[in-house]
Amino acid sequence: MKSTLLLALALTSVSAALAAPLGIYQHGTVVRMRMGDCALMHRGFLNAFGPPQAAVAEEACPEYTLVTDKVVFLIVGKSSNQLVPLAEVVDFRFQNKELAVRVDDARHESKFAIKEMTLRAEWELLQKHLEDQLNDSPHRSVDTSLALRNPE
Amino acid sequence: MLTHWHTRLALLALFTLTSVLAAEDASDASGVPTYRSTVSEVRVTFFATDENNHPVATLTKSDFAVVDNELVVRNFRSFTHSDETSLDVVALVDLSESVAARFRVGMSDVLQLVAREQSTPDDNIAVVSFGGMRPAILCSNGCRASDSVSRLLAVKGSGTTPLFDALILGADFISHHRRAGARPVLILFSDGNDTISLHSPREALEAVLDEGALIYSVDMGTSENQTSGSTFLRQASDATGGRYFSLRFSPQDAAAAVPNAVLEDLRASYVVTYDLPSHQAGFHSLRLLPTHNLNLRFHSRNGYNYEHSVR
Repeated sequence: MKSTLLLALALTSVSAALAAPLGIYQHGTVVRMRMGDCALMHRGFLNAFGPPQAAVAEEACPEYTLVTDKVVFLIVGKSSNQLVPLAEVVDFRFQNKELAVRVDDARHESKFAIKEMTLRAEWELLQKHLEDQLNDSPHRSVDTSLALRNPE
Repeated sequence: MLTHWHTRLALLALFTLTSVLAAEDASDASGVPTYRSTVSEVRVTFFATDENNHPVATLTKSDFAVVDNELVVRNFRSFTHSDETSLDVVALVDLSESVAARFRVGMSDVLQLVAREQSTPDDNIAVVSFGGMRPAILCSNGCRASDSVSRLLAVKGSGTTPLFDALILGADFISHHRRAGARPVLILFSDGNDTISLHSPREALEAVLDEGALIYSVDMGTSENQTSGSTFLRQASDATGGRYFSLRFSPQDAAAAVPNAVLEDLRASYVVTYDLPSHQAGFHSLRLLPTHNLNLRFHSRNGYNYEHSVR
């Protein structure tokens, strides 16, 4: 009897723990993704003032533009293989100055550093400006040597 | 729309459909306004592998998104199985001194491939060796013939490594032997170290990408650590949408896996098309990423060149 009660209590606690975060998730859509440098993630006293570390400098971290109703976030992964599932809608929440993104199939969260935050209205204006610039110079060439760059 | 014709025939191409051209002359004559419309479509052939590195046979278009020049694309025009049904395989075998320790394993792999040619008559196989000053074609489209097999068995390893020149030769061979509905594949048995080529690695990879061929590299290096040769092999496979295998840890498994993988990947291949998301001229980087299951890994070439059409 006692063990049954304990089991029921444990199950209730687990389900409550699982259910609690679901309600506080915000939603957004990833519209851009690029591999940037990992400086933001690896910046610290030793990295800033210590000797250069080639291995760290060469690593590329994924950078995502996450658009929500009001705000647009630029978030950066902690390593080259930290990916956000690119579904139409991404669930996320703030946690200790980081952004925790829910990974559906893995049933866990993946934490990203927030590099920039912009009001959506401002971001849209900027995008339009960039688009206009691009349309004004349609024949601007791009360095085709990138053709051999590895996606990593 | 100016794209290289090879690219169109290969796994990814840009098509520009210029409509109402036929009506143009007539409408000019009648004074009726002419409306011109240009539609640019990107076409990507790919396959996916799971966490065990096995090809995924069944995919839906909601399983992935395309990242084209940093822009995430989820709305696709079409999503179908690839219509490629057979293989044009060029096996490139490193005979240089640096892979002498693994030379027999490589040749055994090649002989396995050649034997397979008999069971899949639609597939064509050629074998190119490189070791010494320049690469040479050992046999082509009929390697299973007894004289070809004995020639392969008689090959001895020695000399320098013209790896990049061998890739150029392989790409050139493919361009001259291309068949409709056949996937061009280069299977590269090497440690990835070039010592004497006239061509650069960039030229070599450009030639392979122009033919739309996939590189399946089999790393024959013996070093426990990652070498620059290994890095090149991995990058070449990634850039072309092929796969990388290493003989370091499980030589027998890798040797058996490669021919199967090439065939299974062909059967598990899909084609997705979408509207060109940005008309920025030049190279568009390309990456397919999962929307839900982060264990899926998508293999496709890593970009294409887009140039504006001027009419």
